Amino acid sequence: MIVFKLNGNKVSSAADVNTPLLWVIRDEFGFKGTKFGCGIGLCGACTVHIDGAPVRTCSFPLIAAENKNITTIEGLENKHPLQQTWIDEQVPQCGYCQSGQIMQAATLLASNSSPSDQEIVDHMSGNLCRCMAYVRIKSAIKNAAGVMSADVQTFDPSSSTQQS
Amino acid sequence: MKNIKDAKNNISLSRRRFLVGSVSGSLLMAFAPLVGAVGLGDSPQETLKNKLFSPTVWFEINPLGEVNVNIAKAEMGQHIGTALARVVADELGADWSKVSITHVDTDPKWGYMVTGGSWSVFQTFKPMSQAGAAGRIALIEAAAKILNCPAEQCSVENGTVLYQDRSISFGDIVAKGNFNRAFTPEEISALPLKPASKRTLVGKPALALDIPAKTNGSAVYGIDVELADMVYARPIIPPTRYGSKVTNVDDSAAQKIKGYLGYHLLQDPSDHLQGWVSVAADSYYGAIQAADALNVSYQVGKTAKVSEQDILQEGERLVADESEGGLFIDQGDFSVASTKADKAIDAVYRTHTVLHFALEPVNATVEEKNGLWHVYTGNQWQSLTLPAIAKALQVTDDKVVMHQQYLGGGFGRRLFGDYAIPAVLTAKAIGKPVKMVFTREDDSRFDQPRSPSVVSFRAVFDQENKFTGMEHALAAGWPTLSMAPGFMPESLDKKTRVDMFSTSGADHWYSMDNHRVRVVNNSLAQQTMLPGWLRSVGQGWIVWGLESFIDEIAHQSKTDPIDFRLSMLDGLGKQAGKAPESVGGAKRLANVLNILKQKTKDVKLAKNEGMGVAISSGQERTMPAWMACAAQVHVEPNSRKITVKKLTMIVDAGVIVHPDGALAQVQGSMLWGTSLALHEQSPIENGQVSNLNLNTYSPLRMSDVPELDIEFVKSDEFPVGLGEPGVVSIAPAIANAIFQITGVRVRDLPITAAAIKNA
Repeated sequence: MIVFKLNGNKVSSAADVNTPLLWVIRDEFGFKGTKFGCGIGLCGACTVHIDGAPVRTCSFPLIAAENKNITTIEGLENKHPLQQTWIDEQVPQCGYCQSGQIMQAATLLASNSSPSDQEIVDHMSGNLCRCMAYVRIKSAIKNAAGVMSADVQTFDPSSSTQQS
Repeated sequence: MKNIKDAKNNISLSRRRFLVGSVSGSLLMAFAPLVGAVGLGDSPQETLKNKLFSPTVWFEINPLGEVNVNIAKAEMGQHIGTALARVVADELGADWSKVSITHVDTDPKWGYMVTGGSWSVFQTFKPMSQAGAAGRIALIEAAAKILNCPAEQCSVENGTVLYQDRSISFGDIVAKGNFNRAFTPEEISALPLKPASKRTLVGKPALALDIPAKTNGSAVYGIDVELADMVYARPIIPPTRYGSKVTNVDDSAAQKIKGYLGYHLLQDPSDHLQGWVSVAADSYYGAIQAADALNVSYQVGKTAKVSEQDILQEGERLVADESEGGLFIDQGDFSVASTKADKAIDAVYRTHTVLHFALEPVNATVEEKNGLWHVYTGNQWQSLTLPAIAKALQVTDDKVVMHQQYLGGGFGRRLFGDYAIPAVLTAKAIGKPVKMVFTREDDSRFDQPRSPSVVSFRAVFDQENKFTGMEHALAAGWPTLSMAPGFMPESLDKKTRVDMFSTSGADHWYSMDNHRVRVVNNSLAQQTMLPGWLRSVGQGWIVWGLESFIDEIAHQSKTDPIDFRLSMLDGLGKQAGKAPESVGGAKRLANVLNILKQKTKDVKLAKNEGMGVAISSGQERTMPAWMACAAQVHVEPNSRKITVKKLTMIVDAGVIVHPDGALAQVQGSMLWGTSLALHEQSPIENGQVSNLNLNTYSPLRMSDVPELDIEFVKSDEFPVGLGEPGVVSIAPAIANAIFQITGVRVRDLPITAAAIKNA
């Protein structure tokens, strides 16, 4: 039995310990916002936060999640500034990669409140958007950085799990 | 019926009446067949209420004034529901904040269901406008009765009918009024539609209705569907697309996998699957592992050794052999021009196999309930897919319902939904609901890839070095031949039937005295793969060659490539265009090219930089989006590394219904064009695509994105589709820039540094 925190709640899974965390999150706990894209950690659609770091759950075994704090897109609860700028900039097309894009971008802003264009590109180039909405992904990240640095509070990607 | 676009038109534009009726307290607006319908003698209200026929309810308004518009098109990133709802709501005079959309399941009442070809706005703009206008008139008539005033003195604004200083909301009209109104075809065609200047929603900024759910994980795609008591399944794809037979299955290793439930040999009466096995487990991870552990032996199909090179070689043979294929265009007399010619230049352009690689791997979730098969999946062409599913299940079409989900990318892969067939056959074999998901590698191996293509060109010149004629011959695998052969017209010489999707683009808008096009199906490609419609389809590979070769002709003629193009865009004869869809013809293409010329004339190019130009009129001659593209490219002198610095695109697509959605489509399609030009290929090896996942298949990433400068020409002309055409001109514009910089003419897609180096 592997025990961990998922979006603020203590949970446990009896699945095969080698099961990629992706399937546990999606099919056992029903958080379908985290997506399956390539299965080899190269598209980023399955990105979640594990203790605040971006992790590709398609290639992360359940056993490694023991006692970790895990936040999925649902755990952002529509409160992350990126979710608003994603709407403002009308970023998603098919939308399938966007949970992963937002989760990946959130970890950049957590450590760098005003990233340069190059820092954004470097941080985001592991996330494939097949609709190629890259121009808008980039501008939405920049705008969210503006919003967040104008705010006294900065977003901690693991905060929703730490509070409980 | 020769054209898939017209198949839809048969439904939406044929003679039919509109019905507006009060049903259960709401106003329903529906299309009804004019003839042959049960209940024609009844009142519209009775007909709607009693469902005496199956009405196509296009929108309804409830007593709160909320308008819901039904959308029969697939949502795959183009925000189509938003665009179509705004067309209706604009004519209706609705309050946009009260408008919502519903994506409907398959039902014959929706008519022909296909989302592709960049047709959606083009096809539905007029009927949706008319439906909105009819609703507005019905609301005004009802309001006039309630307010006891003359209807002709009422107006509509923002969900309210106004008369002098009095007003009544749509909701109150619906609550108090009694709707029972039919519009005859004559009345429908006489409906007053708004002039462009009066539009309040069409062409104005809007937030897409599907976007919020795509920022918080709540949007439901096919892969997210769950049914009670379902089991998970994964297919095992045979070594060849056709003709493989399973000779033995050894599941002794799979038996040790946790949750393994067994395997099934899939017998497919529809014959789309040949030699398939599926594996079931109580979790998807179990199904993945069990499928990996299963040892399947095959008697392989005859294409098991075919390579990319074999297909291209066959293509080269076919374009060279004039007895192959059929004539598609025969303008003037190329043979005479050729005999009289003083000089000729020849070139062969090729493209390699590419994948759709939609990020959501194909999948379907299926259950049978009381003899009815429910198929949950994202699909672009239900009217093609549903009968194939029914055939595989050996049931009639009315025993299958497809429940549409969001598509995690379509790009043409989800037109023919063959991926639902192994899911339904597995569900039938097991007798339980099944969720079948393809892994990424499974998805690539079962893709309907863009076929390798070969196009030969010859241009002839007279003694004054004046260009006098062009001939090209095209050879590729044809999607329509395998998937929808009923939609192929005869060639000019009646020698063959032609896949218009694999020829469109060869019928360009340049005036040429002598122009001949021959098209040939590459049967080796056809046997090895199921060639797919991939975003921009034939235009993507045909215009790649055409616009590169036009540049070659311009250089041979010692003419500036832009001026050379302009000289042939005279809009005369067949290039004059037709109302409504191509008013202005080649003149509009000349216009966008002139704008591009002005916009780029002062660009200062750095060392080892060049600017190439190409134009396009995708997606087809009966629906052209006029585009001109300039690519500013850098080629590193030693490594020959190619960097696209900036793409400038001028677009004339008529009225733009949803401007930001249109911009998003052009941005995305231009980057698709860049990715196909430089980054993507999955060559056939041993009968199958070879680059299956992102370790070897490398679509464009954020780090590769050039600066984009996109300008739309303001136009009141009929709206045309924009989902694909932005792809078309990118590759030739890049290649034309590379020629400027290096003097090397690259003729293979994708373009590689090695190709420049080795030239």
